Amino acid sequence: MNELLLMCLIAGRRAAIPAAEVQSVIEIDEITPIPGVAPFILGLTALRSQALTVIDCQVALGFDSRQDVRGQRAAVVQVDGHPYALLVDAAYDVGEARSEPIAVPGGFGAGWQTAARGMVETDGGPTLIIDVEALVSGPIARAA
Amino acid sequence: MDDLLADFVAETREMLEASGGEIVAWEADPTDKARLDTIFRFVHTVKGNCGFFDFPRLEKLSHAAEDALADCRAGRREPDAALVSAVLAIIDRISEMTDSIEAGEELSDGGDDELIAALQPGEAEVATVSAPAAQAAPTLDASAEDAPAQKAARNPGVQRSIRLPTELLDEVMKGVSDMVLARNDLARRLREAGEQPTIDGPFDRLSTILADVRSAITRMRMQRLEHLFSSLPRLVRDLSNELGKQVTVEFEGGEVELDREMVEMVRDPLTHIIRNALDHGLEGPGERIKADKHETGLLKFAARQAGNQITLVISDDGRGIDTARLAVKAVAAGIYSQSEIDEMSERRRLYLIFEPGLSTADAVSAVSGRGVGMDVVRANIERVGGSIDVTSKPGEGTSFHLKLPLTLSIIAALTVGSGGQRYAIPRSYVEEIVFGSSDHVEFAQAGERRLVTFRGMRVPCLALGEILGTETNAEVVWESKTLVLVRLASNDVFALAVDRVFDHEDVVVKPIAPAIMETGFYAGTTLLDDGRPMMLLDLPSIAQKHHLANEMRSATRVVEEDTVEERKTHPIMLFTGLDGRRRAVRLDLVRRIDTIARDAIDIEGTRTQAVIDGEIFSLVGLEYGELPEEKCRLLRLSDGDCEVVYAVREVLDAAEMDGEIVPSSADPHVEGVALIGGQPVPVIDGHALFANHRKPNAHARPVSCRLPSDSDWARTILEPLVAAAGYKVSTDKDEETDVAIELVESETPLAARARHVIRLRSDPEADGSGNDSIYRYDREGLLDALKQARMGKTA
Repeated sequence: MNELLLMCLIAGRRAAIPAAEVQSVIEIDEITPIPGVAPFILGLTALRSQALTVIDCQVALGFDSRQDVRGQRAAVVQVDGHPYALLVDAAYDVGEARSEPIAVPGGFGAGWQTAARGMVETDGGPTLIIDVEALVSGPIARAA
Repeated sequence: MDDLLADFVAETREMLEASGGEIVAWEADPTDKARLDTIFRFVHTVKGNCGFFDFPRLEKLSHAAEDALADCRAGRREPDAALVSAVLAIIDRISEMTDSIEAGEELSDGGDDELIAALQPGEAEVATVSAPAAQAAPTLDASAEDAPAQKAARNPGVQRSIRLPTELLDEVMKGVSDMVLARNDLARRLREAGEQPTIDGPFDRLSTILADVRSAITRMRMQRLEHLFSSLPRLVRDLSNELGKQVTVEFEGGEVELDREMVEMVRDPLTHIIRNALDHGLEGPGERIKADKHETGLLKFAARQAGNQITLVISDDGRGIDTARLAVKAVAAGIYSQSEIDEMSERRRLYLIFEPGLSTADAVSAVSGRGVGMDVVRANIERVGGSIDVTSKPGEGTSFHLKLPLTLSIIAALTVGSGGQRYAIPRSYVEEIVFGSSDHVEFAQAGERRLVTFRGMRVPCLALGEILGTETNAEVVWESKTLVLVRLASNDVFALAVDRVFDHEDVVVKPIAPAIMETGFYAGTTLLDDGRPMMLLDLPSIAQKHHLANEMRSATRVVEEDTVEERKTHPIMLFTGLDGRRRAVRLDLVRRIDTIARDAIDIEGTRTQAVIDGEIFSLVGLEYGELPEEKCRLLRLSDGDCEVVYAVREVLDAAEMDGEIVPSSADPHVEGVALIGGQPVPVIDGHALFANHRKPNAHARPVSCRLPSDSDWARTILEPLVAAAGYKVSTDKDEETDVAIELVESETPLAARARHVIRLRSDPEADGSGNDSIYRYDREGLLDALKQARMGKTA
């Protein structure tokens, strides 16, 4: 069976997060900012008794941040026992990958290259699969 | 019952249950190799375990069964029906014996040998239904008949235990935490919606139940210290053999319970302390006899629970710590200069053993002195939120006092505000809180470093906003800040300037993502009551980042000795009253200091109240003068279960009383006069204060009063009056209450019983039908009747 993917829009591009890693999709309400952290971490948000670390995918990929994030969707994932909320432009349905992830000659572009596992064909067209672990470690860790 | 034994019983029973199906399957097909293996493993495990526990009969039985089964496995013997039933009989017997072990009783003798004999292949050949087995059967039946009856009788006394994976417990715990948050959310909404008796009652009940469940689940994670203690005698034996010393170990307080994880966390530090005690503390037999001591040394462990802390004292009766040698070592290692050592008190020198890089052992032995010193022990204890202290008398022995929190995940914290956000600081680091605006707090600048001078000591000062980058040094208005004096494990002190100090709270700490950890500012995260996350500050790491960890040793040394001696006197808090005169209050009474806006204070006639964080408090201290126009500073005083607020002009300082209070009866509000720094200062009388302003409903269990549910008058006019008199009002006509009020005119008969019934009539004049009714607007009469009813209840 083909891999199931959560289709979403990140930095205006079609992207996908492996559905097996996504626990739920939430709507961001209030974010408690954490002074002193890297800009791709927006802060913490509460999901029941859990505090999720909110990652702005757009910033983590090296793009500028947007202003108001209230009401935006985020995918809840768990990496090394820590819960994260990956903030995306929009989250769509769960879809199926129609091919194996492949590399594209010339790469996907600076930020995407390190945070994407490859490109797959889906019903909506070519889509990049996000490497969640690379994404949550942020641009600094990847540059090092 | 011994914990290990309980584990054995639980394990055996678990295996019995698991192998139940296998046994039946094996009976159906004795040649089934896989089943045979399972049953073989079972008897083998039982045999191994009971060798450990010294149950000879159980061992003999399982051994015999194991032998027979081993023969089958090796192909020396064909399993047949007779063998199967003989093995089954043995397994049944094992099960019975396990039950009686659990109940702590001896199982009636006999039958064992027959059961074992039945296993012999020869016996099986004699008859298809073997005679010994048949003989054994009646004995078995007899005991089987007795067993249920005995079991029923003895079961109440026996605590049965089951084993659960820790993850499951954690999951349940998390669920309960979620529930508490949902409850808090609901509570807030209910408050906003106003009082609704029909919902508030059940909601309160839900809250109580939830609190009970929560504490029960916390208890589930607890383990008796016995568990830790039971492994120590062996360790001590091995070490003392190695060192050629004789040591007896004594335990006290093994029944004290501690979080399982905490038990694991203290295991290593404890082992280290034991090694030290045996290696350096206790003398060899020869030396002990010379010193006129018993040749066998004594190592004692005593645990005690005090509130949500455990104290664990490890003491030996050895030679004590040689502080002179410690000092020489410290100088040799370059940690302190000789002149610094000379200035130190004896106690301070003792603390040198917690310095990194010190070991009193002259030769590095196999047992201790391997470079992992007491500094690591101390760091480990403090990492889990505990503390360690040491006392020692030369020639008499050394004691280590460990203070540990009950659980790992809940810590006592102080919540502070900075840049519009809340942060938590572990309370164990907080030494004192002072206002930047106080008279005796002076700020100074040395280069780029801000310093604060407070009560004769000068310490570096950091603004939390500056640390976190939300404020720049130039912007900080130091005088408007509240200073939290922080003492680190290394004994370094610095002042942390925050916008506001909120409250003491017990918080559940959860780990944070590595990317946040990288900042070095935070140690974890926790959720506020309303479900919003809050960061827990990592003070040692912050201090290190700002190079504060080793800078001001001289300042700390002075404080260290001061505080040790100061704690013996009565601490008080000095303030100026509204009339500008200095007064004092015992510090134990002060719960916290609040600053509120003038419009949060409501004064009408003799009633004065202040609203703080949505709660109403009685306000006192107004007799001395007018309240300031804008901000009012208040001392929140508590007698343990009731709080009042005391209006002051300014909070001055915490101080120590020199000597006793000289009683004075001239002013009823004043307990007496104390000398503080040579000056007489009146001390306000806490007893009189609470006697006058105690809320009437602060009873341990409120007296309940039922009102007619169908009367608007009762609901709108009577209920507030009754509630104000300290009654818990109920309108449920089926509930049994202490007092019931009914209206004479009302037709509704009393459904449930009440200890007292007060009847109210609407006619001012008694109608002559009896003099037991009271006019409904006779306030005095009604209150009097209520009071009498209460007396009747308490009597």
